Amino acid sequence: MVLTKVYDAATVFRHLNGILNVYKPAGMKVKHVRNAILSNICKGLNSLEQREPRELPKSPLLGTGTAGDDVLHKIASNPDLSDHILSAGPHYTPSDVRFSTVAPLGDHTSGVLLFGINKGTGQASCIKGNRPVRVYHITGRMGTATENHLPDTHITVRSNFRHVSAERISGLASSMQASHQRKMYELCGVDLQTQAAYELACKGLIRPADNNHPVIYGINLIHFERPHFTLELHAINETEEYLAALVHDMALELRTVAHCAQIRCVRHSHFDIRDSLLRHGWNLPGIMKNLRRHRDLLREHPQMMHPRQINLQA
Amino acid sequence: MLKSARIGLGIRWYTAKAKRSVLAQDQSKVKEYTPKVTDNHEHRVYVWGFQETGALGLQTSVKKAKERYTEMVHHPTRLQFSNNNEITDVTAGYGFTAYAVQRDDGETLFGSGLNTDSQLGFQVKGNAKDPSNLDVIIYPTAIKLPRRQEETDEDMQVKSMSAGRAHLVVVTKNGTVFTLGNNSYGQCGRSIIEDERYSGSALIHRIPQEDICGKEDEITHVECGQDHTMFLTKNGRIYTCGWGADGQTGQGNYHTAGQITLIGGDIAKEKIVRVTCSSDCVLALNEAGDVFGWGNSEYGQLDDSEHAETQINTPRALKLTKGIGRIKDVAAGGSFCMALTDEGLVYTWGFGILGFGPFVEQTSRPQHLLPPLFGRNDFSNATTVVSIGCGVFHMGAVNSDGDLFMWGKNRFGHLGLGHKKDQFFPFKAAINGKVSKVAFGVDHTIALCKPYF
Repeated sequence: MVLTKVYDAATVFRHLNGILNVYKPAGMKVKHVRNAILSNICKGLNSLEQREPRELPKSPLLGTGTAGDDVLHKIASNPDLSDHILSAGPHYTPSDVRFSTVAPLGDHTSGVLLFGINKGTGQASCIKGNRPVRVYHITGRMGTATENHLPDTHITVRSNFRHVSAERISGLASSMQASHQRKMYELCGVDLQTQAAYELACKGLIRPADNNHPVIYGINLIHFERPHFTLELHAINETEEYLAALVHDMALELRTVAHCAQIRCVRHSHFDIRDSLLRHGWNLPGIMKNLRRHRDLLREHPQMMHPRQINLQA
Repeated sequence: MLKSARIGLGIRWYTAKAKRSVLAQDQSKVKEYTPKVTDNHEHRVYVWGFQETGALGLQTSVKKAKERYTEMVHHPTRLQFSNNNEITDVTAGYGFTAYAVQRDDGETLFGSGLNTDSQLGFQVKGNAKDPSNLDVIIYPTAIKLPRRQEETDEDMQVKSMSAGRAHLVVVTKNGTVFTLGNNSYGQCGRSIIEDERYSGSALIHRIPQEDICGKEDEITHVECGQDHTMFLTKNGRIYTCGWGADGQTGQGNYHTAGQITLIGGDIAKEKIVRVTCSSDCVLALNEAGDVFGWGNSEYGQLDDSEHAETQINTPRALKLTKGIGRIKDVAAGGSFCMALTDEGLVYTWGFGILGFGPFVEQTSRPQHLLPPLFGRNDFSNATTVVSIGCGVFHMGAVNSDGDLFMWGKNRFGHLGLGHKKDQFFPFKAAINGKVSKVAFGVDHTIALCKPYF
């Protein structure tokens, strides 16, 4: 494929479609990420070559043979000055770009955040309807519990954590995983005493019937260094509060207390953290490159767009 | 200090200004949480199923035990007795349970449940408030094994034990066999006495292992069927006694036998490493992974050919399990059998709920259950089944993560699923610990677990 350099905004805007994978920093609201990206898109588009102002229809002001004849015939074009950038303002504003979020992330969460842009909003709602699994790395800090289980509030309790070891955390994690997989059958809306339930069970993992109940498919300990421990967690329908409360509850099971020091979403369906756009790349060239990358990804995994599959792939 | 905080769903948000209160918090005044770790034992026991017999040992008050809604325990429940005692082994009979215990005071065997045939030994009233009728023991009590003068506490530790319909057989570390309970078919390994009264009997029969298998060999394992007993020795020999009406003693006849006898048949030259039975069909496994069987075969469990005998009285190498690979564990239920292969596949065959959904009631050929049913999926793709077991009506399997999966008839909630409906495919039991051994009773289940904490 021969790449040609594009200089005009209209061509760029025509190709500004698809799914965007952004690395959301912790402590920044999704709304602010969205505004930053939209304004950067517009800034980028407006700095490219703009189209000429509209032409007004040729209506000779004066007939031929009059006094102003010479002057008038020298005007090559007849632009509509009300359409000029200097009078109408920049051509591209944030409201011109259609934009949707695939799934929200909490304020304290960092990591993969997917947006649908223009024609990608349809794809975004398809992915959203499929409710794909998200993978998180959650770091807990043992020793102190906080009011909302996140680090930015008052400390409520302190505790000792000398007795907690990696084996104990991973043992507890594997039991929680199995219990959640059992819960998954209860939430899939199938009577357990039927053939249908047996067939579903043979397939392995299944999705919950509604999108209110969080279901965890896998938990394992990936890093342990007192007082911190990091869990890798695969989940559906989860929220930031749920994940933070999970760390708190796990700590109570381990006879200590903990709060959630950081939450990072590392994968959302097939959208990986390695392909996500970092803060310094939130400009038009970066966004276009990212959209192109994920167009290919969607082509590789068309099942992401197929609506409502009950069985689940990692 | 000005503080604007919104309380909703337990989450508190701060404005930038109010965040100062977080930063200014005096952390030295924060309360210290020092949870009491009451249970520092290696094992923890979970019990569930039918409670009215007292087999679960959960109740401490006789009055409470008689109340309504206490007859069943639907969910796996932690046995309080295991918090205070180091339990090393459990076995479940028909309505009673025995626990092997390590204690400072030298008691090694405890039991709870039905004691109608003195299968839990001779129990006397401890205090005046106890009921006069001690046929039902609701909380584990010590079973005093008769001891010779030279025998120490260490000698009396339980090596292996098993329980049948109304008898209990215990092998201690020093190789002595103790049999308790009903002997009407000779299952206690002593001659049958006509019209013997078993209730309130203080008789505990003691058999030195030399009398059973000679000086060179030693008994490693004991397994009880419904009314018969089998002893497995280190050299792989099997000795049996008890009821033989279906050939389950494997002695080549259908008589009841009060005399413990070595059995032959196809296993005469094999080194047997495992023998299992829950009622009257017996499976045995040799070192090479071949399966042998004898006893009841009414449902074609042992032989599925057209004119097969329904009772087999001599151990026979099974043709059914040929070709499914090397077998590492077997289990025999009331009307079905299970086998576990080296690859970790669970095969079931026979009649009943075999785990293949509600429509499959009978298969004559062993078929394997799919690994996803035992917790293998994309997130834990190395999980395999490591041990299997079954009661008369239900089956269970433990995987490498220590999760117990149960399926079968749900008599009195002994699957521990929280309801009384039958379960047609393996389903995880909610137990807080890694399961190391499961005792399948006829209407209750006991799981010995290693706690996460």
